[in-house]
Amino acid sequence: MDYIVDAQKLSKTFTGSSGTVHALADIDLQIEPGEFVSLIGPSGCGKSTLLRLIGDLLAPSSGTLSVNGKDPHRARVDGDYGIAFQKATLLDWRTVRRNVELPLELAGVPAEERRSRADELLQMVNLAEFADHYPWQLSGGMQQRVAIARALGQRPPLLLMDEPFGALDEMTRESMQQELMRIWRDTGTTVVFVTHSIPEAVFLSTRVVVMSARPGRITHRITVDLPQPRDFEVRESPRFFELITEVREALRQREVTV
Amino acid sequence: MRRVFAFLVVLALLAILWEGYKLLGALWGGTWPILGTEMRPRPGDSSMPHVWDVIAALFAPARRNAEPLILTLFVATLYTLREALVGFLVGALVGFSIGVVFVRSLSAERAFMPYVVASQTIPIIAVAPMVVVWGRQLELPGWTMVSIIAAYLTFFPVAINTVRGLRSPEATATELFDSYAATPWQRLTKLQIPSALPYIFTALRVSAAASVVGAIVGELPAGFADGLGRALLQFNQTFAADPAKLYAAVLMSALGGIVFVGAVALAERLTLPSARREVTT
Repeated sequence: MDYIVDAQKLSKTFTGSSGTVHALADIDLQIEPGEFVSLIGPSGCGKSTLLRLIGDLLAPSSGTLSVNGKDPHRARVDGDYGIAFQKATLLDWRTVRRNVELPLELAGVPAEERRSRADELLQMVNLAEFADHYPWQLSGGMQQRVAIARALGQRPPLLLMDEPFGALDEMTRESMQQELMRIWRDTGTTVVFVTHSIPEAVFLSTRVVVMSARPGRITHRITVDLPQPRDFEVRESPRFFELITEVREALRQREVTV
Repeated sequence: MRRVFAFLVVLALLAILWEGYKLLGALWGGTWPILGTEMRPRPGDSSMPHVWDVIAALFAPARRNAEPLILTLFVATLYTLREALVGFLVGALVGFSIGVVFVRSLSAERAFMPYVVASQTIPIIAVAPMVVVWGRQLELPGWTMVSIIAAYLTFFPVAINTVRGLRSPEATATELFDSYAATPWQRLTKLQIPSALPYIFTALRVSAAASVVGAIVGELPAGFADGLGRALLQFNQTFAADPAKLYAAVLMSALGGIVFVGAVALAERLTLPSARREVTT
């Protein structure tokens, strides 16, 4: 089996003026193509750091890591992943369409192709009629949908998401989750999703990876066997609540021992 | 339009205040009632000429059989504004380039920033004669020296705000460009410069005003007969005899500055959408 993410004995330490911080220690994580993996854990457990190591935005201190079967640097240069953050991080001076075009533009895709691809992506996130608007004219949820469309520009096999719905209100959040589920099914892309929310992790994921802090470690891996495609009914099923309890206990268990 | 109207209203109020003070001075014989102290500044015509005298001075010939003063001053203002404009453009370009270099290289910033700051602590009246003497030795045309002096006042705010603006993108925007493996050039042109524009325009407004001051001051040691600087100096010397002329010249130079800063503000309006304008620094 070729893993899209294969981390072995991965660790990361930050050295600053206040000393050395072990952000991650001994991370072993294999992710198969098509999976939806959530990283969940308390603040400081290194889940965002792990995401940044996968994205080659940070370099590991030790261990090995391959992304899409390559060195992470190669994977980044090849555009093998798209990324979305908690802040939509849209460029204010560009229209919605031109924001979605940005990664394609940087990769040297010809203007016409860029435009039609951007329109296709905006269609996918139901924002086609807002293509010529500016980011500040959109709501937070709409901005985040633009950011997701942008991340999918080059049809990356991997999508990295760092609490993308963390700043949204609950109603918007649930509809965004629904939308992300649909996009994940339609594109077949693998998703690594960092979150603080237990129901969000359970609802979205095929697998929930539970982490603990100081140093950041993986403590549990919980397979989510909820049926696909998932909709609002799943949120009310007994199995959904059982899994939420399971994740919550995995998180608490660690707290007690620490 | 509303802006112009507000400007004119304030102008009228200032004129009323000026004349009101003079009127009270005339009524009270130049002494505050109750306090019994002398009114300062003296409300007499020799230090505070009537508004209509200043306006009249603008339309009267400066010398016998000469053209009206306003024409002379208008030509002088255009001359000075041209020097200021060249200085402003050169200074803005130099300031922007310094900003880009400093942001690209921390060691360049560390090495040269103290000199950039020091350059602004030297008064322009000390710098101007040096520039003029060196310029003459290099056989530069006179107006270019004045422009250099104007540029000297212009580059600093632009440099400082360019540095600030180029560093203004949030951390996630930088990470986003990292994730695209963007080249330094792409990062500069597609992220940093657009982010810096509101900062740069704020600096340009300051610089536009400063460049006019720089040009006027620069004309003095250059000994120019054509610009506003010379006119201001000349009317300063005849102030005691004919104060209205100096006020007339001051009005013209203020007007020149306003036009210049207004042009920069207009350029900003055309470049930036309203949501991104007027960064406070």
